[in-house]
Amino acid sequence: MSNQTGSTGVKRRDFLKVLGASSAAVASTYYATTCRECAAGCGVIAETRDGRVTKLEGNPEHPLNRGALCARGQSAVQGLYNPDRLRGPMVKEGGVWKPIDWDRALTLLSQRIGEARSRGSAANAVFINQHETGSFPSFLDAWLAGFGMRPHLSVDFEADSAAVEANRAAYGTSWPRLSFQDARLIVSFGADFLDGWGMSVPQQLDFADARAKIEGAPRFVYVGPRRSLTGLNADQWIACRPGSEVAIANALAGRGTLADAATASGVSEATLARLQQELTTAKPALVLAGARGPDALALAQAVVAINQSAGAVGTTIRNAEPMTAFDGAVRVADVLATVEQMRSGAVPIAFVRGANPAFSLPAGARFADAFAKVPFKVSFSMYPDETTELCDLILPDQHSLESWGDAQATPNVISTQQPAMDPVFSGTRATADVLIQVALKDPANAARYPQRDYRSWLISRFAGGMSAFTAAVAKGVSAGSTAPRTTPTVAAVAPAQAAPSLDTSHGDFYLVTYLSPVLGDGRGANKPWLQELPDPVSKVLWSSWVEIHPQTAARLGIERGDIVEVTTQSGKVRAPAYLYLGVRPDTLAVAIGQGHASATRLDAFEPKHTDRNTIQWGYGRYARGIGARTQDLLAPRTDLAGGLALVSTKATLAKTGDHETLVSTEGSARQHGRGIAQALTLTQLAGLQQSRGAENANALAPQGSANQESGGGGSQGEGAGGKAEGARGEHHEEIPGEPSGQFLPGLRSPVAADAQGDLGSPTAEDRGKEKGMYAPNHWSGMANRRWAMTIDLARCTGCSACVTACYAENNIPTVGASWQNATVFAVSKPGFNITRGREMNWLRIERYFEGAESEQFTEDFEARFTPMLCQHCGNAPCEPVCPVYATYHAPDGLNVQVYNRCVGTRYCSNNCPYKVRYFNWFGYGEEDRKQYAFPEPLHWQLNPDVTVRTKGVMEKCTFCVQRIREAETRAKTEGRELVANEFTTACAQACPSRAITFGDAADPKWAVTQAVEDRRAYHVFEELNTYTAVVYLKKVNHPGPASPARS
Amino acid sequence: MATVVEPRRDDSMQRPNIPSAGNRLPGVRDYEQVDRDIIGTLRPTLGWFAALGTAVLCLLIGISAWTYQIHEGLGAAGYHPPVMWGVYIITFVFWVGIGHAGTLISAILYLFRAGFRTTIYRAAEAMTVFAVMTAGLFPILHLGRPWKFFWLIPYPNWRLIWPNPKSPLVWDVFAILTYLTVSATFFYVGLIPDIAVLRDQETNPVRKRIFAALSLGWRNSDREWRHFTRAYLFLAAFATPLVLSVHSVVSFDFAMALTPGWHATVFPPYFVAGAIFSGIGMVFTIIIPLRRFFGLQHFVTINDLDAAAKLCLFTSSVVGLAYLTEFQVAWMSGNRVEQEYFWNRVFGQWAWAAWIMLICNMVLPLSLFSQRLRRNTTWLFILSLFINLGMWFERFVIVVPSLSHEFEPWQWGSYAPTWVDYSILLGSFGWFFMWFLLFIKQLPVMALAEIKEIVPPKMRRPIDPEERDHDLDTLTLDPINTAGDD
Repeated sequence: MSNQTGSTGVKRRDFLKVLGASSAAVASTYYATTCRECAAGCGVIAETRDGRVTKLEGNPEHPLNRGALCARGQSAVQGLYNPDRLRGPMVKEGGVWKPIDWDRALTLLSQRIGEARSRGSAANAVFINQHETGSFPSFLDAWLAGFGMRPHLSVDFEADSAAVEANRAAYGTSWPRLSFQDARLIVSFGADFLDGWGMSVPQQLDFADARAKIEGAPRFVYVGPRRSLTGLNADQWIACRPGSEVAIANALAGRGTLADAATASGVSEATLARLQQELTTAKPALVLAGARGPDALALAQAVVAINQSAGAVGTTIRNAEPMTAFDGAVRVADVLATVEQMRSGAVPIAFVRGANPAFSLPAGARFADAFAKVPFKVSFSMYPDETTELCDLILPDQHSLESWGDAQATPNVISTQQPAMDPVFSGTRATADVLIQVALKDPANAARYPQRDYRSWLISRFAGGMSAFTAAVAKGVSAGSTAPRTTPTVAAVAPAQAAPSLDTSHGDFYLVTYLSPVLGDGRGANKPWLQELPDPVSKVLWSSWVEIHPQTAARLGIERGDIVEVTTQSGKVRAPAYLYLGVRPDTLAVAIGQGHASATRLDAFEPKHTDRNTIQWGYGRYARGIGARTQDLLAPRTDLAGGLALVSTKATLAKTGDHETLVSTEGSARQHGRGIAQALTLTQLAGLQQSRGAENANALAPQGSANQESGGGGSQGEGAGGKAEGARGEHHEEIPGEPSGQFLPGLRSPVAADAQGDLGSPTAEDRGKEKGMYAPNHWSGMANRRWAMTIDLARCTGCSACVTACYAENNIPTVGASWQNATVFAVSKPGFNITRGREMNWLRIERYFEGAESEQFTEDFEARFTPMLCQHCGNAPCEPVCPVYATYHAPDGLNVQVYNRCVGTRYCSNNCPYKVRYFNWFGYGEEDRKQYAFPEPLHWQLNPDVTVRTKGVMEKCTFCVQRIREAETRAKTEGRELVANEFTTACAQACPSRAITFGDAADPKWAVTQAVEDRRAYHVFEELNTYTAVVYLKKVNHPGPASPARS
Repeated sequence: MATVVEPRRDDSMQRPNIPSAGNRLPGVRDYEQVDRDIIGTLRPTLGWFAALGTAVLCLLIGISAWTYQIHEGLGAAGYHPPVMWGVYIITFVFWVGIGHAGTLISAILYLFRAGFRTTIYRAAEAMTVFAVMTAGLFPILHLGRPWKFFWLIPYPNWRLIWPNPKSPLVWDVFAILTYLTVSATFFYVGLIPDIAVLRDQETNPVRKRIFAALSLGWRNSDREWRHFTRAYLFLAAFATPLVLSVHSVVSFDFAMALTPGWHATVFPPYFVAGAIFSGIGMVFTIIIPLRRFFGLQHFVTINDLDAAAKLCLFTSSVVGLAYLTEFQVAWMSGNRVEQEYFWNRVFGQWAWAAWIMLICNMVLPLSLFSQRLRRNTTWLFILSLFINLGMWFERFVIVVPSLSHEFEPWQWGSYAPTWVDYSILLGSFGWFFMWFLLFIKQLPVMALAEIKEIVPPKMRRPIDPEERDHDLDTLTLDPINTAGDD
């Protein structure tokens, strides 16, 4: 803004101009674009301030994600502003990386391509691209063809090739839309559709909608050796042996006997018989296969057969509504074949863009050796990842938020991608543009690119041309389809690579490896938000861990945090043990995603001592040296569909004698009957409705104590009713503002009534008093509002997208395990941050287990996810104890924290029963400190509406007060009243389960007002009389017709 | 003191109007000896310099650690949310507690005419003032932003923001400042006649001038004595309720909170008893070496220590009862959160700390039922160290386990102090003992004037030539022991 003032001094007029321009620029500008963090390609809205992207939110217009966005998608801004991004082209000369200018780099590239062509080996060149949909793949193939090279490999290590192949064969599409809402029974054979399998956001939206139907909600059975996040959301877990899913599926499909399946799987025949019975009665069912063993294809085919007999096709499996995310993705087997081709020396030149095969492929594939045989290797990567380090030339790409593109959302909908800002690093160039520039250097190819840049190329191909394109870009989506892509032609895989079943010859334990729901195949590891996002299942962060059942651990004398060594024939991994109820005692589970490393030895990043220009090989400072590379355990085996077999071998487990504090945010995994996460069954729900009904329609007041019993899963109901009635009687006496009619019409909502407490009490003697802004008739009208939130635990899946949304919106620092990004396995010392419980997550997801109290293995336990945030108590314990009024109650019900008044006594946190206050132990926002959370340019992301807190002050959830005030101000300047539901908090906005509703509970027009009337509503710790503004709606369990679970 | 009484021939008769009534110092013959023996201790020795040097070194370590903590942020200390209070608040309560014994001994026992206080109260009062000075530092250095500590003080400001009168921390500010003011005044007023003695004996003109100023021109006149005794009595009466109120207010920091383990009505009396108990423990820790190194055994007699030990035993019993009451209340509360917390306190994660507390404060002092042990200075000294330790751990048990095991199981945690915590704890001892060591070489550690009251005036003393030749060591200091009724 201000650079126009020049160096001759600022004149007053100029100054005012600049001032005007700057203040105008404070308003947000929004750009609709497309998320490229996984293959799904959700629509996003990029909010920009002063020309910088500050936040990504789902595009409500987009058919896939309908406004929601997962944690990975939101973290794209940290990819954009990653401090370790490659900032310009580089060439490796004599083993040393040297900066090079673009002209020379492109000349070098053209020259090497020319050499390959002149030798006639260009056809063997390899271009590995991270799988994406849209025009770029066909553009790329056309470019490659122009140089006589074969089509590129569109690699997606997260794709489930077996499912894709089975879908193609059975339904004629790579991915039919899965309709959870239409199902009455969902059975998943290891298909972790909430963990990233398939297209996570659309699936989660639909699944949550299905579960929110309560009475008509589908029951969900999860079959697999490990309860993933998806498994924890199931009503029933059938813990079969790894590799035996196919036996069960075949039996259910009528291709084998239940007895054989029971023997193979270790599951009782009765359980399987019940499942079979359910499949015949609860139609339509939705059965999904996703177990990634060597026999994945057989499993997928068996599941297709079950679906066909369970009435799923056309109802729950909408093959008429195909999804395109996995169209064109090559199989890992093809990649492995290409690696062998490289090893043979036949490949003259290799290009890598986005994908990171050196990390993602199993160690047994020996990618690095093979890659070294390629004479010239070009990387278009944005980050100093493992593959890039092995290359010879780096032409750093631009981030999807800086460049043009498109994606195919569904066959009929194009999702456009536009730059939301100027490139962060001027030395980077969009790969598509680079390819055009290379083509322009070649006389034979130049004519094919009259547009001279990729944007023009896109427009030229866009139906309707420039004007249609502009209109589409503004919205982010438009009808139509991008150019069809050519099918890649890769040599068929040698069948020897594919094995029909699990190798059980070596080791005592089955080994289950799975893709991290947070980091994906490892792509997310360089983003501190994702590193600091607790794994939804284990709640471990900044680390790897080995899941061991407590029964096994007790037998081997292993405790939580003991470093264990897992060894397979392919390699070994050292990681701390995490004792997990949801894994079979004969099975170990390890997540894929961590363990990034540099080929050369690099010391841990030292924020204060490391030269900022040093390239942080090993995928950047936040990823290098964190955790263990699980791929080292895997043999390069694929299933018959060519997908990488993640569960293919057995392993041995050894205790090393080392121990560390497990980096985790989990305190006690049990709620000790305290009624934090409450749940009920449909039967109980019906009873609840009856017992209330007549007297009081609102369900807020008396439930807490009564329903804690149902939390324990023990004796439910009896006697509690009477107690609750008694409690209610007392409340009627004591609480000013019980909806007894004495309250102002606008405050009739019990939440609002509670919140205002005495201040809001319009009793006769108070009414005349002057109470400033707290008076109901004060001109600001603040006291007539009551900001409140409901969280529907029947919808919440624990995915944690809200947590990242909160980090993004509220400038919450990531603090690191020990220090920012310091190595985690050095936690023999307690360290200083998360290892001391100092995470700053204003909103956290508590994951409580119910059942399975003893060490003995049981399938019968339940997980409950509770988003816990500041409850904005009407009678807040934190407020009276603050000696300096740094926390106080706003007239509109917010519990306000004044950062610059806080002296840091931390008394408020001590007195908070919910423990949702977070203290700035260090100067996380101070530059030149090793704790600095926003090293340039990460701090470009910071939300200018929210303070970056200084050290020594307390902070907590504000209900996104900046959004509230912004909306109020906007309404005021437009001379109107606030419209119901016109804005919401960041967490509610992002939630892909739509579990969070925010609004003014004193105004019946807001959705939250209806939501608090739900019969499942309760307050956490209601017995403490805190009168919280956060109302939870109980989870609803579906134990099943004859489940042994709750008997 | 100079309360006018009818002189009696019979020296064994008690003088009921004098606080030191009934106390006898058989090893002290005359006023000159009082002055000589006590003022004689003011000469600095090599050992004293060594002790002072150690104290200052400890203080410097503490100051360095605090400087580092201010620079880095409070995260340098061992806080582990949800344990948001740690060593600093523990040590704050510890020192405030110690600050109680002095005023109890000098004021309450004065009003109750307990004779054994005469020889120990000066040291105990000094201990009080310095302990409160030490305690007062901790609420500041535990702040996230200590440079803003003055926001807790109500001062006029253009923002019209005042401290929150509902917050127990604000009550603390008032309670501590009041207590510090009153105890320092009381201490100083009691010193005036003694400073006058120092002034009279001082030869160094500079020091003499300082003492002259401090003694406020004391000339030993009857009128001065009358005013002095009235003022002293008034201050004693004024300080007495403060002994109860200050630690009650400190206990409100905890009792007013919701936290299980804190939210208990037993806290004020429990804290007051604990404070007195810990204060007496610290008195033993200070007085026993003091009388030994200064050779003042004939002033602080074993009888005095015996009496103080009985008080110690009594307060220990009160504290023990409070411990048991807490468990009983939790047991009978029907409150699951409270019950689980107390179970965790004694049998869970923090059992080691709780048992240190119970054994040091409840079990070991039971040994004082034995007269032999009450009169064994070595045992009393060792026991006093255990009491100091036990009382520090009492506060640890109150602060840390409660916070680590609150309502929200997901946020249950642990706590381990770092070197910064320990250094600042060490520094607080350095600070306290630095002041105390400076005090014992500048001002008489015993109240000369009050001791002289229980020493028979010269004119009434029968001249006994044999007695004059007695060596101190052969003097029978302990009439009860010689009576053989042990």
